[in-house]
Amino acid sequence: MSVFFLHPIYLYGLLAASLPILIHLLNRRRMKRIRFPAVRFILLSQKRISRSYRLRHWLLLALRTTAIILLALLLANPIFQTGAGLFAGGGTVSLVILLDNSLSMTWSGDGSGFKQAKEAARLLIASLNDGDRAALIPTNISGKEAFRLKEEKEVLLRELQAIEIADGTANFTAALDKAYELLNVPAGQREIRLITDMGLTGWDQFSIAALKQYDPSIPLKAIRVSAKQKPLNGAVKEVKLGGQGAGVNLPLQIEAVLANFGAAEIKDLLVQLSIDGETKEQKLATVPPRGETSVNFQSRLAKPGSHMGEITLKKEGFAGTPRTYFALHAQDKLHVLVVDGDPQTALVRSESFFLSRALNPTGDQHSSLYLPTVIVADGLGAAALESYQVVALCNVAALTDAVAQKLRNYLSQGGGLLIFGGDRLQSDSYNQKMTQALPAPLREKKIAPEASAEKIGKIDVTHPALENFADAILQESLASSRVWGYFRGDGAGKSALISLANGDPLVAEQKVGIGRVVFIATSADRDWTDLPLKTAYLPLVQGLTNYLAGGKRGALDGGVQVGGTKEILLAPGVVGKSLRITKPNRQETEVGIVADRDRSIARFEENDRAGFYRITLPAGAEKDTGAPPLYAVNPPFLESRLDEINEGELQAKLRPIQVEVIPVEAVEQGGKRTDLALPLLALLIVILLFEGWLAQRF
Amino acid sequence: MADGDIKNYFDPKVLAGISNLYLRARWVVEGIISGIHKSRAKGFSVEFEAHREYSPGDEIRRIDWKALGKFDRYFIKEYEDETNLRAYLCLDASASMDYASDGVTKFDYGCTLTASLAYLILRQQDAAGLVTFSNRIESFVPPRAKRDYLTQILRALENRGPAGETNVGKILEEVAGQIKRRGLIILVSDLLDEPEPILKALRLFRFKGNDVIVFHLLDPAELELPFEGNILFEDMEALDLRVVADPRAIRKTYRQVVDEFVSEMRKQCHDSAIDYQLISTNTPLDKALASYLSWRG
Repeated sequence: MSVFFLHPIYLYGLLAASLPILIHLLNRRRMKRIRFPAVRFILLSQKRISRSYRLRHWLLLALRTTAIILLALLLANPIFQTGAGLFAGGGTVSLVILLDNSLSMTWSGDGSGFKQAKEAARLLIASLNDGDRAALIPTNISGKEAFRLKEEKEVLLRELQAIEIADGTANFTAALDKAYELLNVPAGQREIRLITDMGLTGWDQFSIAALKQYDPSIPLKAIRVSAKQKPLNGAVKEVKLGGQGAGVNLPLQIEAVLANFGAAEIKDLLVQLSIDGETKEQKLATVPPRGETSVNFQSRLAKPGSHMGEITLKKEGFAGTPRTYFALHAQDKLHVLVVDGDPQTALVRSESFFLSRALNPTGDQHSSLYLPTVIVADGLGAAALESYQVVALCNVAALTDAVAQKLRNYLSQGGGLLIFGGDRLQSDSYNQKMTQALPAPLREKKIAPEASAEKIGKIDVTHPALENFADAILQESLASSRVWGYFRGDGAGKSALISLANGDPLVAEQKVGIGRVVFIATSADRDWTDLPLKTAYLPLVQGLTNYLAGGKRGALDGGVQVGGTKEILLAPGVVGKSLRITKPNRQETEVGIVADRDRSIARFEENDRAGFYRITLPAGAEKDTGAPPLYAVNPPFLESRLDEINEGELQAKLRPIQVEVIPVEAVEQGGKRTDLALPLLALLIVILLFEGWLAQRF
Repeated sequence: MADGDIKNYFDPKVLAGISNLYLRARWVVEGIISGIHKSRAKGFSVEFEAHREYSPGDEIRRIDWKALGKFDRYFIKEYEDETNLRAYLCLDASASMDYASDGVTKFDYGCTLTASLAYLILRQQDAAGLVTFSNRIESFVPPRAKRDYLTQILRALENRGPAGETNVGKILEEVAGQIKRRGLIILVSDLLDEPEPILKALRLFRFKGNDVIVFHLLDPAELELPFEGNILFEDMEALDLRVVADPRAIRKTYRQVVDEFVSEMRKQCHDSAIDYQLISTNTPLDKALASYLSWRG
């Protein structure tokens, strides 16, 4: 039930209600003075009538004030409304129906909230009279859409039929902006009905200050669709890639973080990992009330490139986004060129044996992320270095000028160079030709009896290349190594990743442009150290190789939120061309590529559905761009939260716009409007007559 | 002379235009006498008692010539000795008497009434005296029966305007103490004082064998409270007594209060065999004097 006014401007007339009081006060100021002999009779009279006189006086004042208030109300033409208000009386109506089609409506009203909302909208449209006009605006809009008020109910009903639940959060700012824009026209009666589940997430993002225009005199009614019972409510908060990343045929570790928005524990929630549409693993999870829990999956990717990952949540009565999409970009094998400076007929005695085994322990080229290729030093000049992410020089004696130049070029293009020492390495050659690439100029070889070998002194486990050694067992294994032969260098310890107990650096790093060099002062085999026999050798070699190759292999891309903008970074050569985005519903859109500093970029804003979006690059640009061929779009994580904004908070959010919240059942039950002008007029006449009669009695 | 013309003689407004109090009194009294002759009312002049036969030494002008024609003998008219009446005219001269809502103050009206009564009394060869008072006796003219004594009374009346507070009861008691012989006490006052002391004093007069006539003078505005709008009423005697009132709101009650006051005075006076006459200052003087004349018989 509510009352609103057709001509609220006349309510300013209520200010005139103070006139009788002002007149009374003015009269008191302007009173006459009379010298009179019989004042005692006046006093006596006043004493007698004091109580009744005052009562009548105030009654008269109240009647006059009430009469003015009634007159102002009469001019403002109040309309009494029950239910959600159907449009009987009060002139023609211009109505805007805002229909909340945010994702949370999927679970509102015990699962039938959106259906109820559409039915309420249908009833409102059906109740329009001839001459009334209405517009139907879904809340999930970008703000660029065009709407207009129309009289044709059939068209409105067709529009209503076409509205579906979106995957994003309600954009109340854009929707209300549109509503006020449409109603910013002279009309007899203007109204806004917002049919919503009162989802907190949408209102959290709303601010009255963001509205371009609004009119507080237009009545706004929020028709509330709500669930009778609170369902189990949660969602996937985050999907993370663990281990060494995403590599072909390597163990793939994926962690899904689940959140519970409700006050009840979620038990036996089935969590499923799918990759490229194939279910890989499923687990049952328990999520504490208002808490989080992690579910870990192990899998394997057979092919390099981009894969479509999906975490699915299943449970009876569970409310929340059931699917979370992510893209996995799997790296193919990491190619390492191992240059053996001391090859032997017996493989096990070769300088490169332990290194190549550490990179590919089983010897099976499908079982390791690394694909080492061993060549002798003489072959280095002819090798195509750009085919390898890392080049490892193992006890290579000297570098020709051509080879040195080739290595410098390789480094300048971002290559990784791993240099092992050894008895054949000629420090002068390196110092002369690879000065910039060495962490420090090499000085003398230090060879000691094995019995008096140096221990490992310090390990920088914070360095990305050595993060494996945060593990105590591996660290102990590394620390147990002994080194009896190594190259000393100037500037000892300056950039050491690992130092000997005497302080001499054992492993040091140098950056050359965007390339990296790691120098290991001892041999790659057992000639100068027992390190190749230690457990720590494999993670050390792999960690250094990964680091030199640019970090983890592969990536997991959680994508963008529905309604967000996807930026696709491209090589500079494709500026002016366009790429094509194919949405989950197979709709294709061409997106122009523009310059952005030293790169080019394509921005796509129409990410209005959850799922995978495929990118088709312009012809001839596929190889150069490095852009992934797909990305994921997910509903906002908090859109799964079913917490509601209460009426008081909503009124505070919308102030100075007056909003009344009514249940959706009120629309279904109907309601009517009564013009209060006639009863008010009758009351005014009665009051005026009474006032006249009372005034006469004075 | 037409009736209307006669009435005009007694209109207080007309009388107020006559500045000389003597002329005013005479105008009233002669007018009344003229009206009475015309109306064949009972005589009031020196009272005829009997005829006796003329004897030498009698005044020739007292011979009744009509009787000579009828009986062919000389008869002399004998009149009642009227010098028995001693009238004390007590006029209230307090500040409250200075009020006039329409030109004629209560004091002016009272003066005219008092002067007319004095004229009438002296004309009948009775003795008339005057007391004017506020909260004290302002002037005291002892009663005399001489015709030319009127001048003294009028001078006393004209000598002083209304001023000061009223204390009617106390003054009347003082006057009662000074009167040695019985007589007629005529009180002309608005009686705006505590009624009980006034009545007590009037009863004292009666107790001493005096006749008492009370002319209760009130202005029409005092009777009707005809004002409009919010008004600050300031008392004419007690200057610190003031009140804000809306006359429209209290008028009805005010009239009741005044009526009750007047009725009580009238009743108390009646119970004590005192003639009481309420006179509004817009009442013609002949009606006011009628009370005296009816008493005088």
